Amino acid sequence: MMLTIKDLHARVEDKIILKGLNLTVKPGEVHAIMGPNGAGKSTLGYVMSGRDGYELVSGSIEMNGEDLMEMDIEERAQQGLFLAFQYPVEIPGVSNMEFMKESVNAIRKARGEEALTAAEFLKIAKEACKQVNLPLDFLKRGVNEGFSGGEKKRNEIMQLILLKPKLVILDESDSGLDIDALKVVADGVNSQRDGKRSFIVVTHYQRLLDFIEPDYVHILADGKIVKSGGPELAKEVESTGYAWLGKPEEAGA
Amino acid sequence: MSDWLAQVIDRADAVANAQKDELASLRQNALAELKQQQWPTRRTEAWRYTSLHPLEDMTLPALSQDVPAVPEIDGVDSLDFVFVNGKLQGDMPKLPKGVSVGGLTDSAMQAAATEVFGTVKPRTHLFGLVNDVLATDGLVIDVAAGAKISQPLRILNFVSAGSETHHRVLVRIGDEASVSVIEHGAGSGASVNTAFAEYALGAKARLEHYRFALHGGDAIHIGGAHFSLGTEARLNSTLVGYGSQLSRLDYDVIHAGQHANAKLNAVYLLAPREHFDLHTNIEHAVPNGTTEENARGIIGDRARAVFNGRIHIHRDAQKTLAELNNRNLLLSRGGTISTKPELEIYADDVQCAHGATVAEIDDKALYYMLSRGIKREQALVMLNFGFIQELVAQMPNKALAKWLEPQLRDRFMLMDVRNGS
Ligand SMILES: Nc1ncnc2c1ncn2[C@@H]1O[C@H](COP(=O)(O)OP(=O)(O)OP(=O)(O)O)[C@@H](O)[C@H]1O
Ligand SMILES: [Mg+2]
Repeated sequence: MMLTIKDLHARVEDKIILKGLNLTVKPGEVHAIMGPNGAGKSTLGYVMSGRDGYELVSGSIEMNGEDLMEMDIEERAQQGLFLAFQYPVEIPGVSNMEFMKESVNAIRKARGEEALTAAEFLKIAKEACKQVNLPLDFLKRGVNEGFSGGEKKRNEIMQLILLKPKLVILDESDSGLDIDALKVVADGVNSQRDGKRSFIVVTHYQRLLDFIEPDYVHILADGKIVKSGGPELAKEVESTGYAWLGKPEEAGA
Repeated sequence: MSDWLAQVIDRADAVANAQKDELASLRQNALAELKQQQWPTRRTEAWRYTSLHPLEDMTLPALSQDVPAVPEIDGVDSLDFVFVNGKLQGDMPKLPKGVSVGGLTDSAMQAAATEVFGTVKPRTHLFGLVNDVLATDGLVIDVAAGAKISQPLRILNFVSAGSETHHRVLVRIGDEASVSVIEHGAGSGASVNTAFAEYALGAKARLEHYRFALHGGDAIHIGGAHFSLGTEARLNSTLVGYGSQLSRLDYDVIHAGQHANAKLNAVYLLAPREHFDLHTNIEHAVPNGTTEENARGIIGDRARAVFNGRIHIHRDAQKTLAELNNRNLLLSRGGTISTKPELEIYADDVQCAHGATVAEIDDKALYYMLSRGIKREQALVMLNFGFIQELVAQMPNKALAKWLEPQLRDRFMLMDVRNGS
């Protein structure tokens, strides 16, 4: 199993946000997670990646049979976890190129592969940059520094392409994108679907799922998954919204 | 008065007797001023955080004969003037048309020398006066009006253990002329060195200026760079400082003509017990001037940094635009930083911003890097270094920046990096 989350309870500061979340993802699968604002979707990604302040209260998360919670943040990434952030961080003074080269080489090293030379890296970085339709000077700029919202999202996808992770969480990688950029992001993601790599796609809109077809759609509300189904569930949400969540008995069905 | 200052005054008389050049009367004036000066103590505002005890207690060892190699910089074809312990080495390089260079007491250079000497540097700097009366070595650079000098002039000032040197640079840049000057100082043996440079920029003149104060260890380095800007003159200056048992620099930028523009970037990287003190003073004496100043430091181990940034906007200096920002990153609990803004604004129609911060590591940025698999130590190095790399990247001379960057990085790698929290 790529990912097994069992009865996950997690806390941010003093507040319990995730309240008994279960999810299993097999290699190669694409799972979409939808749900109202504040439901805990981003929190799930942060807990999985190990962000400070996002604490496991009870339950477990295993990736490829290994306990994720036992690992340091960087170890999780080295083991193949990748989170495309809803709000990518700006790091002025560190060039995008240097940042990505260090990441790629850290992950290669963890896998027992040779580090890439500057020239080797430049070559693949240029290709990835073109693939997400960003001008090449974005490699030289500070990480996300002064990037527009859409450019930041494309920069995340560029990292996804370069890092070749096993399990990918896309946290609203479609928000703030114009229709062309949405296609670029979706194409970038689809190019990484190889039947083994798994994806968790967090989104509010059916639109992205037209491009990245999910195997399963889950509705996350108030800290747990309240409904799961196939792609048709996303269409249902698009037309009816989350008003039905108000009636717990229906949600449980 | 301290013993140290008393012996300076004794020696100043000897210099005055020996040097009967055109600067002699100016030296006499400086000596008279120097005799009026109080020796600074911890109660002297300008020296509150910097003790002069190391200077008073210094006994110089025998003069070392080590002569460092002149660094070659890829892509920088500079005209080099190499001083070892104050003495110019070898011959003057062949100069392009429009610039003349000579020694401080060179009679051919006296017109420029007397025009600049002591006229840009304020009289308030005690060690500036010491330099006035003792400096017989140095350079006078005269750039003719309209001359565009593309080759940078590089002045290397190496000091060895056991030396005491007083070095002076006087630069006159004619109207509409442009030039680039690199002042490179280095040496870490027990030594005493004062080094002051004065730059007088004419109307529409441009100066690209670098000062690399790469001293260390037991060296005592006290100096300054002082600029007077004519109408529409442009100054772009970058300072890189390493600190030593006692390093102190004073910068003055004087907006003497309207619509001048000054950009001043300073970077200091201090460890393990080094002391670096930078005082900058921006004088907006006339309307419509612009100043943008950024000073950033990283302080590791038990090093001490002092930054004092003064902006003085005179009553008539309406429409002044002045920004000063000082950011410091403390890497350890043992390090200290004393930073003080000093705004004196007497005009009402100005825009003036001032900020000073002592930062710790940006947790969000650190998390982001870790989440991409980068090891914690490596991420900290990249983050901290990025903070000053930003200013290095702004150096107009890209080849020079490229030469400097790996050196700063190496120096930084040796510093004791710990998470600030
Ligand atoms: N650092 C924090 N301190 C306090 N509360 C927090 C913190 N981070 C998140 N929360 C709260 O946790 C809840 C879940 O937030 P989360 O960001 O996971 O929601 P989300 O499902 O991703 O929402 P959206 O669709 O708006 O992105 C929210 O109520 C949020 O206010
Ligand atoms: Mg969210």
